[in-house]
Amino acid sequence: MLQLLIQILMNGLMMGLVYIMMALGFTLIFGIMRIVNFAHGEFYMLGAMAVMLLFSTLGINYFAAVLLAAIIVAVIGMVIERLLLRQFVGRELNGMIMTLAIAITLKAGATIIFGPQEMSIPRPVSGVTNIAGILIPNDRMLVGAIAIAILVLFYFFLRYARAGLAMRAVAQDWEAAALQGIRPQRIYLLSFGIGCALAGLAGALMAPIYTVSPFIGEVPMLKAFIVVILGGLGSLPGAVVGGLLLGVVEAGVATFINTTVATMVSFALVVVILLFRPAGLMGQSR
Amino acid sequence: MKTWKILAGLVLAVALVAWPFFVENRFLIHIATMVCMYALLALSMNLMLRIGQLSLAHGAIMGIGAYTSALVMMSLGFPFAVGFLLSGVVGGLVSLIIGPILLRIRGVYFVLLTFAFGEIVLLTFIEWVDVFGGVNGIFGVPRAQIFGFVLKDKALSYLMALAMAAGGFFLLRAIYRSEFGAIMETLEDDEDLARSLGVNAMAYRLAVFVLSGAMAGFAGGFYASYFTFVSPGAFNFWAAVNLIVINVLGGIASPIGVILGAAILVPLPELFRDAVQYQVLFYGLALIVFLKFMPDGLYGLIGKIRGKRNDR
Repeated sequence: MLQLLIQILMNGLMMGLVYIMMALGFTLIFGIMRIVNFAHGEFYMLGAMAVMLLFSTLGINYFAAVLLAAIIVAVIGMVIERLLLRQFVGRELNGMIMTLAIAITLKAGATIIFGPQEMSIPRPVSGVTNIAGILIPNDRMLVGAIAIAILVLFYFFLRYARAGLAMRAVAQDWEAAALQGIRPQRIYLLSFGIGCALAGLAGALMAPIYTVSPFIGEVPMLKAFIVVILGGLGSLPGAVVGGLLLGVVEAGVATFINTTVATMVSFALVVVILLFRPAGLMGQSR
Repeated sequence: MKTWKILAGLVLAVALVAWPFFVENRFLIHIATMVCMYALLALSMNLMLRIGQLSLAHGAIMGIGAYTSALVMMSLGFPFAVGFLLSGVVGGLVSLIIGPILLRIRGVYFVLLTFAFGEIVLLTFIEWVDVFGGVNGIFGVPRAQIFGFVLKDKALSYLMALAMAAGGFFLLRAIYRSEFGAIMETLEDDEDLARSLGVNAMAYRLAVFVLSGAMAGFAGGFYASYFTFVSPGAFNFWAAVNLIVINVLGGIASPIGVILGAAILVPLPELFRDAVQYQVLFYGLALIVFLKFMPDGLYGLIGKIRGKRNDR
């Protein structure tokens, strides 16, 4: 029984780390631009597509391919921010409709270029590690390790880098930040780029584990939604806590009942949180 | 009102009712039926947009109506009239029950809340296989019957849809022109002002939500009998997104804009029948262009052109 619980915990942790990467970008974009990014799953999909092209088609080293994929997705995201989203900063409802339109367009574009079929990517690592009866697939472990490294890097960036500090300042109060000489427009561009890069990374890392198709973005986006609401829209620590919580709860319910019920439970959790603590578990109400 | 306007309205009404009996193109009639159904749905979304609460649960509420009608007829053996009536009643009733809880929340949080609610409803349809038939849904829903006539004829189904859309249109127009409509406007612009004047804001919001839910439910009841099957996939949040798209394209400010939006957007996919992907791409691009350059929709554009003409 204990072994089963630890196994569930490990499974939950592995998924939770991916959820956190999705949710951090999502919540960063909302915190700074007040835009709910319905296209976030599409950037995940673009990351997976990019890694497929670079790694399986062009034969570039997997790790280099993942890094390049993140950069490509960040650039695409920044172009979209500059051209389409900037005028919607702070206009929550219209901005949301715009990101929906972007999501539809990106998905259709990917379908035209890559076709609707599911494609698979060779796994860079394989096999299973057995630690005292707890089974962890090596590819998942790799994803988990890279995710942790990225999260730590992201933390130090926000905490100590000038650009990171500026982003937090704009999130708190863009007018006060502007008075200090920070240009909010640059911060919008940067944070949307970083948010998309995180989503792209998640997609690039998960691509060898799942199949790749233009439609793979929807589920991760739903998860990011749930995580972000659990933790509080705009709260970065909340995204971490929410991601781990969702990963573990899902793994538990999926093991004991089934995955549909696991999803229902997570949405029910969302409704309850929104009703009684709309700012989320870790968020502060404004 | 000028005489010519009344005359033009009459001619239009007669044309809308009579054309399918002269143009016996089943496909064209089907498209027109869909335009009417989506017009009704988009009008129900328009009510929500008017009070500034964008609902992503409307696909699910339409689904509740569709499943209600299907189950009332198939499991309980009632005739179509009862099933159809209940589809709207249950749609409104569900809104009445969840409204007081959901409507307390505003803005983005309301959108996310309705989104989560919609997903729960959908997952219930999928998980509860005994009642709702799971992912496959329910097949063999009886067709609509009015006064004993089975609406197997496409033209008659079209007339029913037309009547529903027209009913929704005139209802909304009457509401927006009444005091109720004026209060709705203040709810969006300045709720504090409305409340300081003694308006029970929550009661108005709830009334709007219930009416909107009932309209979506009726559309669902029609859908079930028109297609003779219901499945959860048709009622996900993209269904609600479609209704928002119709509103944005046509223009939120007027029910005429909503009808325009439905009349343009619903037949659009047929232009790209051979390549579904291009159709979706065009859909997305059109939405982006409208949001960026024509935020008031087609109706706003018409208004601008008219305004310029009047300035001269």
